[in-house]
Amino acid sequence: MMQAVIENYHASAGVAGASPGPVQELLTFTLGKEEYGIEILKVQEIRGYDSVTAIPNSPDFIKGVINLRGVIVPIVDLRIKFALGSAEYNQFTVVIILSVANRVVGIVVDSVSDVLALGDEQLRPPPELGTIMDSSYIIGLGALQDRMLILVDIEKLLTSRDLGLIDQVSQ
Amino acid sequence: MTIDMSQFYQVFFDEAAEHLANMEGLLLGLDVSAPSLDDLNAIFRAAHSIKGGAGTFGFTDIASVTHVLENLLDKLRKEELALATEMVDAFLAAGDVLKGQLDAHRNGGSSNPGDAEDVTHRLEALTSGGTVAPATAAVAEASPATVTPMNAQDNMLADVSEALSGTASRWLITFKCDAEGEALEKLWAGLRDLGGLETRSRPAKKGKKSKLEGKWEVELVTSQGEAAVRELFDFVVNVEDLTVQLVTPPAPVKAPEQEAYGFFDDAPGNPLGLENDSGYGFFQSAPGSPLQEVEGSGYGFFEPMVVASGGAAVVEQSYGFFEPVPPAVAANIAKVESEKAVALASAPEPEAGATLRNEAVPGRRASDQPSVAEVKVGRRDNDKAVAAATASGDSSSIRVGVEKVDQLINLVGELVITQSMIAQMASKVDPVIYESLIHGLDQLERNTRSLQESVMSIRMMPIAFVFSRFPRVVRDLASKLGKKVELKTVGEGTELDKGVIEKIADPLTHLVRNSLDHGIESTERRIEAGKPETGTITLKAFHQSGYIVIEVIDDGGGLSRERILAKARERGMSISDSMADSEVWQLIFEAGFSTAEKVTDVSGRGVGMDVVKRNIAAMSGRIEIDSSLGHGTRISIRLPLTLAILDGMSIEVGGELFIVPLTLIIESFQPTAEDLSTVRGSGVMVKVRGEYLPVIALHEVLGLQPRLVQHGKGIILIVESEGKRVAMLVDELVGQHQVVIKSLDSNYRKVPGFSGATIMGDGRVALILDVGAVVQRAGQQLLEAA
Repeated sequence: MMQAVIENYHASAGVAGASPGPVQELLTFTLGKEEYGIEILKVQEIRGYDSVTAIPNSPDFIKGVINLRGVIVPIVDLRIKFALGSAEYNQFTVVIILSVANRVVGIVVDSVSDVLALGDEQLRPPPELGTIMDSSYIIGLGALQDRMLILVDIEKLLTSRDLGLIDQVSQ
Repeated sequence: MTIDMSQFYQVFFDEAAEHLANMEGLLLGLDVSAPSLDDLNAIFRAAHSIKGGAGTFGFTDIASVTHVLENLLDKLRKEELALATEMVDAFLAAGDVLKGQLDAHRNGGSSNPGDAEDVTHRLEALTSGGTVAPATAAVAEASPATVTPMNAQDNMLADVSEALSGTASRWLITFKCDAEGEALEKLWAGLRDLGGLETRSRPAKKGKKSKLEGKWEVELVTSQGEAAVRELFDFVVNVEDLTVQLVTPPAPVKAPEQEAYGFFDDAPGNPLGLENDSGYGFFQSAPGSPLQEVEGSGYGFFEPMVVASGGAAVVEQSYGFFEPVPPAVAANIAKVESEKAVALASAPEPEAGATLRNEAVPGRRASDQPSVAEVKVGRRDNDKAVAAATASGDSSSIRVGVEKVDQLINLVGELVITQSMIAQMASKVDPVIYESLIHGLDQLERNTRSLQESVMSIRMMPIAFVFSRFPRVVRDLASKLGKKVELKTVGEGTELDKGVIEKIADPLTHLVRNSLDHGIESTERRIEAGKPETGTITLKAFHQSGYIVIEVIDDGGGLSRERILAKARERGMSISDSMADSEVWQLIFEAGFSTAEKVTDVSGRGVGMDVVKRNIAAMSGRIEIDSSLGHGTRISIRLPLTLAILDGMSIEVGGELFIVPLTLIIESFQPTAEDLSTVRGSGVMVKVRGEYLPVIALHEVLGLQPRLVQHGKGIILIVESEGKRVAMLVDELVGQHQVVIKSLDSNYRKVPGFSGATIMGDGRVALILDVGAVVQRAGQQLLEAA
């Protein structure tokens, strides 16, 4: 999985080098029917869903913690958080390990699709409503040929009071 | 030209704190009647290093206190004054003031300037009050073996003026000069070639970029005429901006000539060598800004801003760098072993002039760092070796950040887990076919174990680092209380984790103070009781089966069972006369419990012991008391060797694995139906040997589905939480492990009910139960339900 993503990344990076203007590189994933993009530099790795230790008395979208090479990493299921139907866990379930706000956090999404480079000319302002996420976490929209990408400020989302991933005191 | 000095502040703070601690230890060890010269020298060096650093970094308040301190110490080590107890007291007080100032600088607060003034006056009074006035200049007397570069260099100035005093005139030169840097350096160098130089005042610099305003005022003692002096100023200073005035005509007599410096307020005839520090004139003449004068003392190649805060250390260094060092003095410097590094760093590098400020800091560090590193890392040696290494500047150790060590420990922990996973896999293969593989894995296991042990030992420090503070505590408190107390320490070399060391200091201090105040009786009462006049407090540390035991033993009055019980009854605690002694003693850890007849400012308010117990419990340790009325008390603290590893019992509840700290578990058993009884309003109780304990069903607290639904199945775990015993109902006991504690809040947040997490042998995460919080939560749930 990771290997494929990296290859993909290199391919798109080549394209990015050719086009003028500032370019943002994004990892895209799907949640329900919507496609989301997050800044690639925030992504540490992508792995399967495996041996998560549940934390009692925590909200249901916090699946628990995993041992990521000696580091205890919390796992958040965004599918549950945004109430997107069934949250199944099988060998295709994907966890994106993110490095945000000096923390390592894993998010569960429906699937990881692509690594893309987005030029300024492809960016559109965020919509007022109509997405499953609170619009305050959305930076903008990315227009691709045949689809629309929702750009998410993942750091803001994960450190939000809403998710309660961080002690409120430390905020 | 400016470099950011603040990046070195932390180094200075660390160093200064260590020097202070070192100084205090030496002071306490001093025999007042016959002080060892080595110790005095070591104390002097410590004060000197602090002063140097403080000067370099512009902490003038610290520099000025240490300067006065140093003056007195200097007299002592030159045996011009006899050491007296009040001097030691003054030194210790000065040490406290310095500590306060350091903390203030470190935390950006402010220290109380009154304290610094008091102690400065005290030291000055001692310095001048006891001045014996030797007829000859002390320069000649100062033995080479005790001369530090500072003094050697001071002496040099004295030498210059002495040598010149026969024919020298004193000139007051005032000039205005915009030049900085090299031009100015050349000027100073030229002036110094002519004779002794003193700066009276210097231009002020307003703002960082603005030009210098005002005038330079320097005094030059030289045998050369006015023309020679003026010649130097050509090209640097406009003629109309320069005035050269003759202050003192050639003076053949030495003593008046020294007075003519005009900025000593010493008694006339005070030998130059003796007061060679004040000869710099940075103290008495300008009390408001003690270091202003120094800064100008002619080594003006530093940018004024920096030097303005520079002070003594920079000057010291600059001497080494620039003064044409007379061979004899250079030799002296070289002889001073402990300051060897300074001499090495400074003497052979005259060309380093232009970059002096840059050099000065590494120079200092080069000289001080090894010794400090030794103190920090060299903890593995016994404390004597540490002290020795400090003095000799041995560089066989390095200073490493704790986070690096912790990272290393983490990685090794990972390695151990990986290794055990591989071992588990390999146990399934045929040992005959894969003999060499299994052989290799055995070796891997041995190596990883020893690797883990040595890595863990990096964090271990001898408990001497805690014990070393107690001679002072005992000394101060004993004199305050008018008791005679001797402190004995045993097993200072016993090692334990740095984290434990840091946390044990406060509780231990409290216990020692308690023993001193309440344990040891007054001298009269001791004599009445037929005990030796001097009480003894013993601090003892030793290892016992994976734990470290620290004992505070006093030979005082011991605890009175009757009084404690009476007090407990008074407070309405549930007690019985048949309680075992050990249980009675535990009562003193209750909050607000004090049997002291009167409250002193030392102790007796009943706050503290409960805090001590809580702190110890927070480190998963235990505290026990053993006392015999009239003979003394022994308080033992049992602590795990490290905070990173926990002895735990893994339990299963609702299919999840949890760890309970083993120190909290008293017993476990499988209850029968008769053992359990339901009490209306307070849930289920379990009968354990005639005592009813509340049962906490862990699955209810944690919101899990238990595998074994009814009580009567599952296992009861009796745990101790905040002095109370409760029964916890769990599904199953799995096993006993040593687990590495990992925090949950580094990537997540604190989770109520859990103190952390750990990684089990199979790579899974298990949460560590915070028993106290679980008990609390269960109580709340019960309230909500009711």
